[in-house]
Amino acid sequence: MEQYHPIPWRKHEDLDKYAVAKNAPVWLEGRQVIADRVVKTCCPHNCYDTCGELAYIKDEKVIKLEGDPDHPITQGHLCLKGCANVQKINSPDRVKYPMLRVGERGEGKFKRITWDEALDWMVDKIQTIQRTYGSQAILEYCYSGNREHLAKAVAARLWNLMGASKLVGSFCLLSGAAGSFYSVGSQYTMDPQIWSEHCDTIFLVGRNCSATNPHIYPFLYRAKERGAKLIVVDPYATGVASKADLHLRPRPGTDGAMALGMIHWILKNGLEDKEFIEKHTVGIDALRQLVAEWTPEYTQRVTTIPKAQLIQAAELLATTNTHFETGYGQQRYTNGHQVQRALACLAAVCGSFGKPEANYDCISGMGFPNITGYAHWSKVTNPEGAQIPKTRLVNIAAVATAIHEAKDPPIKGVISYRGGLISQQPDVDYTIEAVKSLDMFVTIEQFMTDDTDYADLVLPACHYLEQYGLHPSYWHNYHQILVPVCQPPYECVPDLEIFEELGRRLGYGEYFPRERTGLDYVRMLIGEECDVDAAVSPNGPVRHSEKWCPTIPYQDGKFDTPSGKVELYSAQMAQRGQQFPGEFCPVPKFFEPAESTYATPELAKKYPLNVISQHPAFRTHSQYYNLPWIKEMEGPAKVFLSRKDAQDRKIKDGDRVRIFNDRGELRNIIAKVGIRVRPGVVELSSGMWVKLGGSVNKLTGVYPAGPRDILSENGILSEYQPLLDGNTGGYFNTLVQIEKM
Amino acid sequence: MNDNQMILYIDTRRCMGCRACETACKLENGLGAGPRFTMVTEVESGSGLDERLDFLPIPCQHCGDAPCVKACPTGALHKRPDGIVLGDDKKCIGCHECLWACPFGVPQFGANGLMQKCTMCYQRLDAGQRPACAQNCPAQAILCGTAQEISAILRQRYADGNFRRPGV
Repeated sequence: MEQYHPIPWRKHEDLDKYAVAKNAPVWLEGRQVIADRVVKTCCPHNCYDTCGELAYIKDEKVIKLEGDPDHPITQGHLCLKGCANVQKINSPDRVKYPMLRVGERGEGKFKRITWDEALDWMVDKIQTIQRTYGSQAILEYCYSGNREHLAKAVAARLWNLMGASKLVGSFCLLSGAAGSFYSVGSQYTMDPQIWSEHCDTIFLVGRNCSATNPHIYPFLYRAKERGAKLIVVDPYATGVASKADLHLRPRPGTDGAMALGMIHWILKNGLEDKEFIEKHTVGIDALRQLVAEWTPEYTQRVTTIPKAQLIQAAELLATTNTHFETGYGQQRYTNGHQVQRALACLAAVCGSFGKPEANYDCISGMGFPNITGYAHWSKVTNPEGAQIPKTRLVNIAAVATAIHEAKDPPIKGVISYRGGLISQQPDVDYTIEAVKSLDMFVTIEQFMTDDTDYADLVLPACHYLEQYGLHPSYWHNYHQILVPVCQPPYECVPDLEIFEELGRRLGYGEYFPRERTGLDYVRMLIGEECDVDAAVSPNGPVRHSEKWCPTIPYQDGKFDTPSGKVELYSAQMAQRGQQFPGEFCPVPKFFEPAESTYATPELAKKYPLNVISQHPAFRTHSQYYNLPWIKEMEGPAKVFLSRKDAQDRKIKDGDRVRIFNDRGELRNIIAKVGIRVRPGVVELSSGMWVKLGGSVNKLTGVYPAGPRDILSENGILSEYQPLLDGNTGGYFNTLVQIEKM
Repeated sequence: MNDNQMILYIDTRRCMGCRACETACKLENGLGAGPRFTMVTEVESGSGLDERLDFLPIPCQHCGDAPCVKACPTGALHKRPDGIVLGDDKKCIGCHECLWACPFGVPQFGANGLMQKCTMCYQRLDAGQRPACAQNCPAQAILCGTAQEISAILRQRYADGNFRRPGV
């Protein structure tokens, strides 16, 4: 039997102080089991819902998770992954202790070492790289596996002290968020309890709520019970599209054209909200000029949406109180920033701002608390009295390019946590080549993933239930602070404490005092903006203050754009375009995604099918894929294709197929033939692991969405403004061919 | 079927295929991979511009006149007075007759070879709580109660005719 050793430098806290109840009964296998304590926390995965959770602990193990019935939005319900966390946290497959690579990179052969040996190894490697190349040869890789912000802030404190290269940006939604920011300034979302009671129409774009936002359903249904209509825009027949009164299915990447076509029809027929446009927008003439060519006929030709449907939707949007809920799928193309701009302009033309019955919800600024200032980021990241050297920035949307191309110095050491570099970045083979060029690749992981196989050192990570966290929702306006519900098992250490101890051993001990807890860091970050105690178990959740999350956003008609109005024409955007390379057209003009039948007709002759990859309910990106419950439910990797495309290739439902393009291939994927996608489009769900054989990123290319063209800078920047420069992985502009095996 | 027959009713207008009931059930019943007491099926329907998916979770239907109870050669299956169909491990011989009889493919057979299936979480019900799947459903599409109780909820949701089947 394996022995696990206590870790002397770890903080040991009594967690009973967070108990909502002690010795509380909970149902399990038809009996009431007495849990030692019940703790309130929330789920920090990258998801709209940020569910309130009740964790039942017995003998320091999580025996059950339930939704927190007191949470006003999630109301005591969990998604399938929420429940599966009990299997995940107790999985025998977890990484249990530090491991050092003994085989070749990619072989996945390791030997167990102690934490002391691991940290000594890291310190030695980091210092060697610093001596040889300079500190900027070190880079963290971190994204949203656990989307809470605390550990990132503490890690940033260390990187700042060291002068390491700094990871910035997003490969998820910053193109859309930037497109929105140029249009409306600061971004807020309206509580669903409000719009669901007042709106006449809900316009939902690019979001498959069944998989990624299930807690919106009670509100959608409440609105529908009142008689509201639901319009869904998605190329795929999703769960929520199946509940829609009107489902528009654009050709992938053409949602922006659809919005322009709708604006054309609304303006042409005088259906626009004239008062709103007059008082609260600038640039209507430029917009009018832009949409002049977007007649229903032309829009139909570009988007494939039948013009009757387009007109019907446009008229509903303009003539009824329409609440906008936009997701992130529509902006995962190189034109993503302009797609979202066009949707914001459409909302403005419809007057869908600042009313209980209508608002334009893209993303709440609380999703980026460090950008908006809700989290006083520099209090943690820039310790008082320390010299913080100026350093270069590396954009995560082109991180593999940066590792390949960086010079003076090259990138030689990567410390990765909370993100699957190999499985989640586009173009797997290109990413693997980048990883192989490193002198040091350390991963902090819960399981042996695609990344760990290539790592030099694997450190045992904590499940989110075992650590503190700060994760305000980017959809709703309620806030629960994460606390550890149980002590970490084996030799696992919370991410935050790993960075603290590494910092101490690198000679920055004075900046990482041993007595400081995760909650102390929470107070440093948001103590001035939020009553922290009210948001910590046994209390919480709390609603954010009006300052950060107004009940009715934009009700005062103020937009913090340069003009104070919704900018249909954005001079700020044009100006930014003069400083940096990219596509900064001041009006939301439509252009084709980097790969499509229209943009790259020659390529499309070889690879005529556009692959889109939705986020399935089974995973949060690549997480949960390895759990027995999930594997059983999901079954083998599948590709959905239309009957026509299947017939053309003599593929029958259930056949094994090969999917390929110049970047890579997938084999033995099960064909599912039916109505879910239209001819020319295929769907392969995202987040499957490379080593288990279904990763769509074997096929996707490195095509960051705009507006800034970071590829021309190899992803290495000296200045970067997330809401002005944007960037998102253009995962969906990918062409492939399929053949029967 | 008695008036007091307990029913797990799926409001298909609301079920959207999130499949949270499946893991909620696994967690509640301490099941590993293998036995599945409920399973969400997806059916493609409609045509032309009205192509869509329908979703249907299929737990044990606790049939009014349950074929499995009749088929079981050892009397291991029985209906409680409130209509819940339960199995008895001590009497089950793992012969699979119930699976042949069940129109829905409900009976499951785990590592010990004996029949297992949805119990409607009768212990929770007896304590005045809802079954785990119904309790957890984010769309509140799974209802549990007598026909009269379920009908009252559906009337509240839909009787005014505002909530229409999809289609403008």
